[in-house]
Amino acid sequence: MTAALDELEQAPARHGLLRYAATKAGGALLSIAMVIVATFFLFRMLPGDPVRALAQGRNMTPEQLDLERARLGLDKSIPEQFVRFVKQTLQFDLGVSYEYKRPVLDLIGERIGSTLLLTGTALVLAVSLGLWQGARAGWKPGSRFDKVSTAISLVLWSVPTFWLGLLLLMVFAAGIGPIPGIFPTRGSSSVDKPDGLAGVLDVGQHMVLPCLTLVAVVYAQYLLVMRSSVIDEVGQDYVTTARAKGLRDDDVRRKHAVPNALLPTVTLVFMRIGFVVGGAVTVEAIFSWPGLGQLFYEAIRVPDFTLMQGTFLLITVSVIVMNTLADVVYHVLDPRVRSA
Amino acid sequence: MRKLLAALAALCLLVVIPGTASAAEPAQKKVIKIGVTQAVDSMNPFLAVRLVSGSIQRMIYGFLTVPDSKTLQPSPDLAESWTTSPDGLTWTFKIRQTKWSDGQPVTAEDAAWTFNKMITDDGAKTGNGPAVENFQSVTANGQELTIKLKTPQASMLDNPVPIMPKHVWEKVKNIAEYDAEVYPAVGSGPYVAVEHKKDQFVRLEANPDYWRGRPKIDELQIIFYDNPAASIVGLKKGDIDLIGRLNPSDFESLKGDDNIVQWNTQGRRATYLQINHGATTSDDKPIGDGHPALKDPKVRTALHHAIDKQKLVDEVQGGLAKPADGSIIPPLYKDYFWEAGGDQKIGFDVAKANKILDDAGYKKGPDGLRTMPDGSRKLQFRFSIHTDAPIEDKLAEYLTGWLKEIGIGLTTKRLDSSKFSEETGTTALFDIAISGWSVNPDPEEVLATHLCSRRPTASGEGGGTESFYCDPTYENLYLQQQKELDRGKRADVIKKMEERLYTDAPVIALYYPNDLEGYRKDRIASITPIPEDKGLLYGGSGYWPFYTVEAVSKDGAAADSGGTSTGLIAGIAAAAVVVLIGGFFVLRRRQGAADERE
Repeated sequence: MTAALDELEQAPARHGLLRYAATKAGGALLSIAMVIVATFFLFRMLPGDPVRALAQGRNMTPEQLDLERARLGLDKSIPEQFVRFVKQTLQFDLGVSYEYKRPVLDLIGERIGSTLLLTGTALVLAVSLGLWQGARAGWKPGSRFDKVSTAISLVLWSVPTFWLGLLLLMVFAAGIGPIPGIFPTRGSSSVDKPDGLAGVLDVGQHMVLPCLTLVAVVYAQYLLVMRSSVIDEVGQDYVTTARAKGLRDDDVRRKHAVPNALLPTVTLVFMRIGFVVGGAVTVEAIFSWPGLGQLFYEAIRVPDFTLMQGTFLLITVSVIVMNTLADVVYHVLDPRVRSA
Repeated sequence: MRKLLAALAALCLLVVIPGTASAAEPAQKKVIKIGVTQAVDSMNPFLAVRLVSGSIQRMIYGFLTVPDSKTLQPSPDLAESWTTSPDGLTWTFKIRQTKWSDGQPVTAEDAAWTFNKMITDDGAKTGNGPAVENFQSVTANGQELTIKLKTPQASMLDNPVPIMPKHVWEKVKNIAEYDAEVYPAVGSGPYVAVEHKKDQFVRLEANPDYWRGRPKIDELQIIFYDNPAASIVGLKKGDIDLIGRLNPSDFESLKGDDNIVQWNTQGRRATYLQINHGATTSDDKPIGDGHPALKDPKVRTALHHAIDKQKLVDEVQGGLAKPADGSIIPPLYKDYFWEAGGDQKIGFDVAKANKILDDAGYKKGPDGLRTMPDGSRKLQFRFSIHTDAPIEDKLAEYLTGWLKEIGIGLTTKRLDSSKFSEETGTTALFDIAISGWSVNPDPEEVLATHLCSRRPTASGEGGGTESFYCDPTYENLYLQQQKELDRGKRADVIKKMEERLYTDAPVIALYYPNDLEGYRKDRIASITPIPEDKGLLYGGSGYWPFYTVEAVSKDGAAADSGGTSTGLIAGIAAAAVVVLIGGFFVLRRRQGAADERE
């Protein structure tokens, strides 16, 4: 009897998770499909003739312009172009960049590593710093630590990324007064990058300023969410009980309150990954970091339709995928969502 | 968490320390680093269109001719000498006996292959297509290259096509999709490309077999900065040794640095206004929505009188330009430069401008704005400028003020660059627009932008007009100069073309911006500009400055010791940071413990 009951109770739960995941995945696929459609039309609404822009002010005969149009597939009607675009995208073919004349996927492949390194490191640092500071701040709201760290993070959050990056560049790359310029001004490595460990360190040195900028700008959101969830937990009975049992305050915070408060934050971490990638556009442009953001920035300057489409699609799809993952992970972690 | 932070601190330390390690390594090579703010689009010369790619090609490949470093006239490069048939249609070049960087001999066959590839393969036309448009046939015989033209072409000796090694490139199946990222690249110029990291840098090594002799430095690095402000920081810090194409404010910011030489000389650009004087398509149909008043030459002349060019130079360009009283070829090119004088010169004279408009029947209304003689429209013009150019904003302010004094309203219209070129070059949806061109030693290209044939077709296709200009007198002069192989006589015809543009005013030249650059004198011992008399360093014509550049000898080891001390300071700073972080945690821990004891 009890065994049967157990089975009855477990089966719907497992089934429920699968169904939940499937629904979410379906929603994500629908979103991706809509993004693909929107991408196509969005970039065609932008002003400017890409063929002319490609000529970079040089003179081209009408024949050459026609040839170039045909090469880019711009001589076809919009519906035809659209069908071709959708077909290719579904086959993971993002087309050939107008300007670099190479497959967009190759160009993305060359740069995605740099971006992942930068944003990945920044994300880890921002999450660790944000969660740690948020937990401490939330534990004693109104304390000096809380006031100072919340204020600092909010100021950094509201500062324009470009301005902050430039400021860091001026101070720590060029050096001002007694502060020597110790970090490089550009790129992800030196021109004469050494091999082995020294090479790794060289990349690390190049990463400090862009990474710092990105962390400074994004960590506030982690801090704030963590802070408010810890504040919620502090009022809970189990915390009071734990304290009443005579447990050390530090232990109550770290072993009881923080793990519970982490739940809503997990979703946020996932959800924000896509946005951090997007936020890297500015940072990469300031520090000439050769990543996806820089590629996108270049593509807009030309304008290089296929390249813009490709990078934009990639960034948007990664946001959607991460959001879906966040939903599912949260579902697994928090039983309250399951019953709802 | 504490462990994690400790690990991070350790990582920070490691990251900062290499400054010491790498700087301690003795740098024997003489390296010069140039900062650029445009990335290379392709290392394949058949495909590359960006300016920076062209400059780099100039260093790694030979051309038929190069501008002479003193006169800028065509002088021998891979072509040792040349002759022209009396009808000007057949050109014979004698190719120099020299070697490719892989040791193979350079022959006329290589040049012929290069040109024929461009003529026959549409994919190979992307980079320099127009250069071979007028070629009938190209043949080779040993060291002798024969080019037959369809029509005579005086600019033939300014051919912009780099000569490629046939034995390497004929193996490429599809030129249009070949990225040419094979190193060391085979060339015949002063440098050999040895590495290219996309959007980061290009490394060039001296070519020991270069026909003029090996360059004086060992390596030239062209380093890309996405952000111009960062490149200025890079120069001040010594990450790069030279940077060109600066705007006045960045140039000013280099002032006061003892290690930096501010290079301020005449430039190769002209800044001018293009005026929609009645735009038409190449089949002579009106196009666009230009203000009808601008069709009247008197209105254009009045406009010209209302502009105080000296004030623009002083206050918009910070004095770093020369006012223009001529046309669109800057004074750098002495042979072709023309300047109005005497009665012809249109000076700043508001009273005269007002009188011209009064006499022509443009009456001022109660609001101070003039109307068309038939009363149909007010003289309210749009001024199209680029969104991303603060200087143009300032220029618009001045123009608006002056035009108000002669009863003309001006509204500024900011457009991003692709929209800008569409509206001012194809659809003609503008009244007045800012413009400017960099001019080559052979000015034919910039003159051609005012030809009838350059106007767009009715369907909006077209070869890039600058002014929608179409004038029989100008057209005839253009054909004349094209056939004229005598340089002096050709220059005279070109000056007449400039004069025509000046008096007819489809464009009004404002000023010639100076060439502004900066370089570190603790790294660059000497560098010869082109032309040698007060010329350009980066962005000039040809490779001369970077062939002649000499690095500061490392005996002084100024850069090295600087590097070591920087590294040392960096190490100390990092150590201090780590100690501080460590101390912070120890303190927090104590405090935490104290909290618990209470």
